[in-house]
Amino acid sequence: MKKYLSLLILLSLSVASAHSQSQSSSDYWVYFGTYTGFVYMKEGLPAGVSRSKGIYVSKFHPATGELSRPQLAAEITNPAFLAIHPNHRFLYAVTEDPLSLGPNFDHSSYVTAYSIDSATGRLHLLNTRTTGGTSTCYLAIDKSGHYLMFANFGSSSVTILRIKDDGSIGEQTAFMKHVGRGKDPAFQSKAHPHSIDVSPDNKYAVVSDLGVDKLFIYKFDAATGVLSPDQPPFVEAEAGGGPRHFTFDSAGRFGYSLHEMSGYITVLAWDAASGSFTKIQDAISLQPDFIGANDSAEIAIHPNGKFLYESNRRFRGPEMWGPDSIGVFAIDPDKGTLTEVEQVPPGGTMPRNFAIDPTGSYLFAANELSGNVALFNIDASTGRLSPTKTDLKIDVPVCIVFLPAGK
Amino acid sequence: MTRSVRCKSCMLAFLAAFALTLQSAAQGNDYFVYFGTYTGFKYVHHSKTWGVGESKSKGVYVSRFNASSGQLGEPQLAAEVVNPSFLTISPDHHYLYAISEDPLSIGPPVDHSSYVSAFAIDSASGKLRFLNSVPASGTSTCYISIDKTGRYVMLANFGSGSVSVIHVKDDGSLGELASFIQDVGHSVDPSIQTEPHTHWIGVSPDNRYVIVSDLGLDEVLIFHFDEKTGMLSPPGPPFVSVYPGGGPRHFTFDPSGKFGYQLSEMSGNVDVFSWDPAKGSLTEIQRVHTAPHNFFGGNHSAEIEIHPSGKFLYESNRRTQGENIRGPDTIGVFTIDQKNGTLSRVQEVLSGGTMPRSFALDPTGNYLLAANQLSNNIVAFKIDSSTGRLTKAGNEIQVDTPVCIKFVPAGK
Repeated sequence: MKKYLSLLILLSLSVASAHSQSQSSSDYWVYFGTYTGFVYMKEGLPAGVSRSKGIYVSKFHPATGELSRPQLAAEITNPAFLAIHPNHRFLYAVTEDPLSLGPNFDHSSYVTAYSIDSATGRLHLLNTRTTGGTSTCYLAIDKSGHYLMFANFGSSSVTILRIKDDGSIGEQTAFMKHVGRGKDPAFQSKAHPHSIDVSPDNKYAVVSDLGVDKLFIYKFDAATGVLSPDQPPFVEAEAGGGPRHFTFDSAGRFGYSLHEMSGYITVLAWDAASGSFTKIQDAISLQPDFIGANDSAEIAIHPNGKFLYESNRRFRGPEMWGPDSIGVFAIDPDKGTLTEVEQVPPGGTMPRNFAIDPTGSYLFAANELSGNVALFNIDASTGRLSPTKTDLKIDVPVCIVFLPAGK
Repeated sequence: MTRSVRCKSCMLAFLAAFALTLQSAAQGNDYFVYFGTYTGFKYVHHSKTWGVGESKSKGVYVSRFNASSGQLGEPQLAAEVVNPSFLTISPDHHYLYAISEDPLSIGPPVDHSSYVSAFAIDSASGKLRFLNSVPASGTSTCYISIDKTGRYVMLANFGSGSVSVIHVKDDGSLGELASFIQDVGHSVDPSIQTEPHTHWIGVSPDNRYVIVSDLGLDEVLIFHFDEKTGMLSPPGPPFVSVYPGGGPRHFTFDPSGKFGYQLSEMSGNVDVFSWDPAKGSLTEIQRVHTAPHNFFGGNHSAEIEIHPSGKFLYESNRRTQGENIRGPDTIGVFTIDQKNGTLSRVQEVLSGGTMPRSFALDPTGNYLLAANQLSNNIVAFKIDSSTGRLTKAGNEIQVDTPVCIKFVPAGK
């Protein structure tokens, strides 16, 4: 009996280890956020016709790069930004613009909570709440998994809502409004918060404001969900630059701020003790001979911490586009500074978003205007991108998130 | 040891005296009167704070008021809270909700969130017990009301030009943001109407609609209200306009629910509307100018209220700013035609102080209490129930920077 028992334990241990092995090399669900009501904004107004119905999901096998045909995971209006809860059980989607009116006429944005069926990838509606702002363009979850953070582009505010234990969305815990304007009358007539992210220690939140050319730093209290202005409360960006998205490096020593209009990537040293930034470099994603308009969009660091990727939409409308690109930069491991490795075409037009899969093997480029997601192989030693044959047709893809697939 | 005991007994004696003061006249027509105040400055003009640091108020004050005799007790601090400039009471009288219009007391130019706090009312002492506090989801929040079910508070966020509806939990504390609407647009006055500025929000008598006055847009907006979810719809709702530059500030329905009255701050007009509860629509039937005919100077009309009998309408006209600027500082009295809802002027009385930003009629309709923001006094007026006319009752109390008055029946 005793012998039998130990055998049983041994057996179950080996099963468990086989299980975890297959997990680590196993599949992911990839969720795609889209615009359902338009294709892009032209001079602040919606333009183009989308056939998307909401959030789509594909199964991804990183070992081979295989990607299944996307299925509709949840029907929802303009789910322009998505986030997955750290416990992998819930997905949150922002309805940026419920009536598809554009930022100047939008009356409220919404956020919807879903529970995830990890076996099928399907999403089950939990609840929907207003974000407390308009044209909400960014959503983040704090490290504790207790708070949703929003950048409300239209109404110039950032808001935080509580996540309840069952994953549904609760009360507002913070509201901050930005005031002012920037140099560019077309895009900077008022404040436009564009991203919000917590620091690696979960004690600060960093907000990119495209309208006032500032990177705001807030103290974040994870016990209450309250934001309070840091001292000093912001870092200035170059006039007219338009800070859009931001990322910390994985070690939490540096911050990288991508500026939409100037195409600058500002590198900042992060002092986690005082919650302050010191500028150390303005890397430029545009070639000196570039002629045309640029909207830089997404920024991400490779899981190995050695490379930074950013996308550039060098386009203002279908009649004037290209060369759209994804820039690859090497990160100096000591100084955090950037050196350009290459700029590659994104396999479509208007690469508003991209994402690197959690294994670091592939980059998914979401091309908003051409309606496709192109897969690139990442060279782990050089960071260079090489196109694969995989190219998903998805209407107006603007956000990509990954989730380990269950059994 | 003896010192602390002495202090304790001191405290007990004080508390006993306090309780006695509040309860001495505790019969039938006794009310607690709550006063909302500014704690950090004297007033706001064109989105700028004036007299920063001159208010000595610490929060919400309470007095005992007898609606038969007009007797008004000494005010006591009911709850310490920053800039509680507007209050509302739950329909069951158990809870009071106070906005903190400007939690940092540095004024609207620096935009930061307003807050709303929930308090439980001790019906014996009138004291307030803090329950919780949540952001208003807007800035320079200037008005709060509660729906007929008591399950939703509604906020007008003047600074950011939005309205918020927040769920009230069973224990009276504040919960989720049930609805948020951002107004969009502007009107003609470049000094204050370059953006939307919501100034009033409240439900229709049947709780099926919500009216929002927007001072920046010169519009009165009409939303559907779903009392099950707290949702306002549609976004970008139907509206009626007031005279350009008027600045709709406060709105009220008459007790019969047949008419609506919109007071505009800058024009001093009252727009009279008939209300169709089936369609949820307002139709203009009269526009009345309130300021005295011989008046010459700056006026900002402020508060509007209808007598419980439905026969009289009262509205206040305050000087726009400062001690040295001439202003009317009056309360206007109008009769309401019981058939067609129209107004006729009866009287214009001095408010007994400067800058009557707010006033309130006691629930019996016997008295009007005028809150004079700049002269720091609450002045009682007796209401003639047949003519509506006001005469000074002869009593007044000192409250620093009073800007809101709410009544709650006093318990035993």
